[in-house]
Amino acid sequence: MKKTVDVSIPVGPVHPCWKEPVRIKCETRGEHVIGTEVELGYMKKGIERIMQGRPWQEVMFLAERVCGICSVVHNMVFIEAMETISEITPPPRAAYLRVVVNELDRMASHLIANFSYCYTIEHETLAMYLLNEREYVLDMLEMITGNRVNTAYMIPGGVRYDLREEDAATLRATLDRLEENLRRYTKMFAGGPLIALRSKGVGILTKEEALEAHAVGPTARASGIAVDCRSNHPTYQEIGFEPVVRTEGDNYARIMVRFEELMQSIGLIRRALAMMPEGPVRGGGECKGGKVRYSGEAPRGELTYFIRADRYGRVEEIAIQTPSIMNIDACTHYMLKGVISIADVTSTFISSDPCIACNER
Amino acid sequence: MTKYLYEKDLRPLKYNILVGPRQDRTVKAMADRLGVRRQVLRRHLIERLDMSNLENMPARWEVGCAAPASDDALADALGCELFVENIAVFTPSEMEAAYEKARDLVDDGAPLETAVKEGKKALKEVITS
Repeated sequence: MKKTVDVSIPVGPVHPCWKEPVRIKCETRGEHVIGTEVELGYMKKGIERIMQGRPWQEVMFLAERVCGICSVVHNMVFIEAMETISEITPPPRAAYLRVVVNELDRMASHLIANFSYCYTIEHETLAMYLLNEREYVLDMLEMITGNRVNTAYMIPGGVRYDLREEDAATLRATLDRLEENLRRYTKMFAGGPLIALRSKGVGILTKEEALEAHAVGPTARASGIAVDCRSNHPTYQEIGFEPVVRTEGDNYARIMVRFEELMQSIGLIRRALAMMPEGPVRGGGECKGGKVRYSGEAPRGELTYFIRADRYGRVEEIAIQTPSIMNIDACTHYMLKGVISIADVTSTFISSDPCIACNER
Repeated sequence: MTKYLYEKDLRPLKYNILVGPRQDRTVKAMADRLGVRRQVLRRHLIERLDMSNLENMPARWEVGCAAPASDDALADALGCELFVENIAVFTPSEMEAAYEKARDLVDDGAPLETAVKEGKKALKEVITS
């Protein structure tokens, strides 16, 4: 009879498949994972503490340094939170430009997330294709904002720069190219028999478990929960938005949700460009004091800023609830529990698109 | 969990997470509900939960508090679902023992408040032991 032994296997903190350090201790019985424990603290920044007592002009730049991959949305949520406190409304053109830049940021994030997954399951060809497309997305971000990451594009009452007509034409042409290529890569992923072996039915997160752990973003949407903060955002409502939802709850579903959201982002940018009115991009306004809880949809899910500012717009207290906090918890305590092979631990973890920088803030 | 030779003492890092603004408010609310001191509850949470659980505790608390009430008023008052499923402050067996104790009192005709008080007393013993 085969002997079954209990072994505790540490995965990380440094692992070739992971972009950032985290250690997961896996309690196994044979190849079966029966429990996990997460060890963080390898890159704690203490950014919330650094933000306290600083004026919004400084916090704005610190906010987008919480995460290098989704820096635009941190900038956007912080600025929109300050606008909510101060009752500032950006001009319509600026609101549409925010959507364009936010969706480009989401595309860059989803492409690197799916790249990481394909790389982890050893489909390096598809991984490199995706990483290549990401370069075009970052080029577009650079064209509009002047930077590839940490763009500091949004300011209270508008955005920094307007979009020139020739740049809009370049963006439309790039989106056409991206759409064609991404359609091919999605097909490659959806129909790949080896991909299916490593992804379908692996790392299942049920709807009940997702609700219990407050899973958000594509992780929750892949488990059948139609939750997306963009549904409540006025500009997205004008453009027309429906969240992408799948019900399988496995690794395959999470990656496919991101592929589908890439196509959705292309559509949203196109519609935003078409609906964007002429006019100023800076409406001005003065940041005031107050208290707010404001949420926006980051590429990984709901990003919430809790801010208390004094009458000069200086941040007295701030707490950031990033989506990875909830998703890493959901992943390690539900998806990984019951994984039938230790080899699936890394791919399952990567499928939830964990961001340790966000988690440790 | 197994101890490794190179294992670090995680208590200071876990404490740092627990004294964050949102976590601190959550621990205060939990301590008030359970009738224990915040410091004692913090020690208990540091022993029981891993760092990811501690980070996600405020979101789980919100989900647990927003959940619709069940048919069992006693279970809701003791937080049977909240303190076991949402935030693993107690193991299922610990919560069951406290619940059974309170349920026996209700079955014997004691008012709900008295039973809840006794149940919480049993839970408090788990935290302080």
